[in-house]
Amino acid sequence: MGLNYYKIKKNVLKARKLVIKGTIAAASGHPGGSFSMAEIMGCLFNKYLRFDPKNPLWEDRDRLILSKGHASPGLFSNLAVAGYFDPSEIETLRKFGSRLQGHPDLKCPGVEFCGGSLGLGLSYSIGNALAAKIDGKSHRIYTIIGDGESDEGQVWEAAMAAAKFKVDNMTVFVDRNFIQQDSYTEKIMPLDETLEGDDLSEMWRDASRWKLSDKWRAFGWNVIDIDGHRIEQIDHAIKKANQTKGVPSIIIARTIKGKGVEHMEDNPQWHGKAPKPEMAPIINAELESQFMIAPSIIAGDMSNLENEVKRCAEGRADYIHLDVMDGVFVPNTTFDHTKIKQLRPLTVIPFDAHLMINEPVKHVRDYVDAGCDIVTVHTEVCDESSFGEIKDVLQQNQVGVGLAINPDTNLPQWSHKFIADLDQLIVMSVVPGKSGQKYIESSHEKTQNLVKILKDNKFEGTIEADGGVTLDNVGQCFVDGARAFVGGSAIIGQKDVRGIIREFRNAILKSRRRLLIQKANELGGTELVNNWISLHVIGEKKNQLIQIAKELGFN
Amino acid sequence: MTNQMADMRTEYGKTLIEIGKENPNIVVLGADTTDSLKTAGFGKQFPERFFNVGIAEANLVTIAAGLAYAGKIAFASTYAIFLPGRCVDQIRNQIGYPTRDDNKGLNVKLVTSHGGLTVGADGGSHQQLEDIAIMRAIPNVRVLIPADAISVSKLTWIISQQYGPFYMRMARSETPVIHSESQEFEIGKGITLRDGSDCTIAACGITVKMALDAAESLKKEGISCKVLDMFSIKPIDEELLEKAARETGGIVTCEEHNIMAGFGSAVAEVVSETYPVPIRRIGVQDKFGESARDNEISLLLEKHGITSLNIAKKVKEIRSKS
Repeated sequence: MGLNYYKIKKNVLKARKLVIKGTIAAASGHPGGSFSMAEIMGCLFNKYLRFDPKNPLWEDRDRLILSKGHASPGLFSNLAVAGYFDPSEIETLRKFGSRLQGHPDLKCPGVEFCGGSLGLGLSYSIGNALAAKIDGKSHRIYTIIGDGESDEGQVWEAAMAAAKFKVDNMTVFVDRNFIQQDSYTEKIMPLDETLEGDDLSEMWRDASRWKLSDKWRAFGWNVIDIDGHRIEQIDHAIKKANQTKGVPSIIIARTIKGKGVEHMEDNPQWHGKAPKPEMAPIINAELESQFMIAPSIIAGDMSNLENEVKRCAEGRADYIHLDVMDGVFVPNTTFDHTKIKQLRPLTVIPFDAHLMINEPVKHVRDYVDAGCDIVTVHTEVCDESSFGEIKDVLQQNQVGVGLAINPDTNLPQWSHKFIADLDQLIVMSVVPGKSGQKYIESSHEKTQNLVKILKDNKFEGTIEADGGVTLDNVGQCFVDGARAFVGGSAIIGQKDVRGIIREFRNAILKSRRRLLIQKANELGGTELVNNWISLHVIGEKKNQLIQIAKELGFN
Repeated sequence: MTNQMADMRTEYGKTLIEIGKENPNIVVLGADTTDSLKTAGFGKQFPERFFNVGIAEANLVTIAAGLAYAGKIAFASTYAIFLPGRCVDQIRNQIGYPTRDDNKGLNVKLVTSHGGLTVGADGGSHQQLEDIAIMRAIPNVRVLIPADAISVSKLTWIISQQYGPFYMRMARSETPVIHSESQEFEIGKGITLRDGSDCTIAACGITVKMALDAAESLKKEGISCKVLDMFSIKPIDEELLEKAARETGGIVTCEEHNIMAGFGSAVAEVVSETYPVPIRRIGVQDKFGESARDNEISLLLEKHGITSLNIAKKVKEIRSKS
């Protein structure tokens, strides 16, 4: 079974946009904490929770208990995406007569806990878990608590009780976003080391100073530390937690408050404040332009691919791009599914397998079984019938569905009916077969043209730029419309993979910031541009944006 | 009525086991006072349905809420001072507030002992004199103060069968048996223990016996008193109170609680809106209590005017003014 990465990602995006819509309509609410837990919610709703929106009180459903109830927009938006009610209802958030109260209320279908007063959800979850045990039920309790909320003594009363009663049918997350209402958690009530005098916006990057896990371990819990915005890590942690018997499990998810919108990220102001309505289109554009870096390991040492996978993991790659070549569809031969299966246990990072092989329909199941999370096949070796079969196999196994086109190929007519189902379209910008080639310049225009066709056919996936992508052209590839970037020799061929990936991200980020400034200008001229820039108050962002604006000719 | 004494907590513990045998959905929670509350016996009988959370009352209340949300009938018990007094937020937000369709509040029964001044030697820190006020103000929560062990047993059965949050306060010490085994109880209905025409004495908990004693002594002076056991403080029997006001022209209330927002206040609210008559409220006059050993408790009660003598005095006061 694959990660279901794309479905999760897509629905996380939908949910984030609904949070923006709802809080703007309400003119209040808590976007920051809704965004920090967005990927956790996404994994739960789209992969783990067993529920039936048509029968919200189904006895065997899993229970999701949002202890940090102020993040209700984050819960309501996921309930809407999951089909409990029409997404338009999010506009009634916090309004008189609405089911979507300021804090989660049983009035709203799918809500299991009246949150609001903090520190209570864990105790309440224990009660639910104990009841399930008494009744011999196999459903699970999933609970999300906040880090600010952990100031409440009752959290620790519950921590002791869960260990005593061996509550192992409950999986708890701490959304460790480091911010509470007044300021950074470490300023208000430290959960880690005392960090006086430090640059607080930077402090959580030093893992050696994180002590929250030790606290939970001391209370007798199985503790799993993760990056709470990495879907694969959340997925893996839930799996581990759910398999742990005899002790309660907690996943400490390091997150960023306001994640997904730069000016909200790490900014205590966005704990409980709604964006201005005029900012919505820019924020949505920003949310829609998340991007992924996918190093291609064949550009490394082919005799030690294990090490290349490790370098990708250390470099914090978003995917690991696996170029499978059969020596027939392309002249070169690399490896096949057996190698992928060997590499799979080395990391949880999604495997992005690009099959440059003939008759992929005959082999697709092998790649699913090998543990790929995204499988991309070439249009040149598919037709409507074979691709239909491939798509079905992949979807049934929660594996992302990808289609690739060579530089001299356009999307064939038969493929149009599948566009809405595609998770990924690889636009080759070199002739496939070997790494180290130069980017074919016409690919920029080709990608831009494809964006229109894809949009007309309701594409919800990602364009992946593959071939000759470098630090110099990755920004333009982003402008073209690509959102995933394969880096061969430009990334994996470099000594410091982590460093180069960071540089890639910065280059794309710069390009994205430029696009957003241009969007602000289209919508509201210089005034909106200035207002947009002035929202960015944390770290160096504002100065960087001012620089970009200057380059674009704004004063 | 005999001079027999009985222990409310013993009756409570015994009844829980009886109910537990009949209803597998009953769960019982305690907070390091399970021997004292006599719930430990339930735990011996049904260990899988019994949870001692240690000295963590907030956790006690909220775990009970979770169990109730999942379909259990949760009895959570400890001393009165530690439930309403300590956990008003948990009780309000996790037991009173959660409402889905017609299920108003969660199905948790908060049953406490050591209510009022008669806790005795432990002193003012342990004497819960505000619980009626606190619990009465929380929507969906019903409030009971039984007068004797028989009431405790009957009411424990009743609240196990009625959906929703209940608060029931028991006394620490043995109390005189007031009711017969055949007495019927209904939530929201007071019990007329003695009829009379000159004044009404409305009481709850341990003060019911004082009310009966006062009525008896007043009878010797030719004053005929109606005595009501108003064990159901919320909902309160408005009809009975209005009738008593109409028939007797005055009401003396008596409670082991602060007179601010307590039982007397509840009676006054009803009477003032239905059939206003003079009222005198006996109870702790907005003060805290203090230590008193078992043989001194009567002195403590006397200091706060919670005696049959004072009831009789207030009855006469009302009559002299009317």
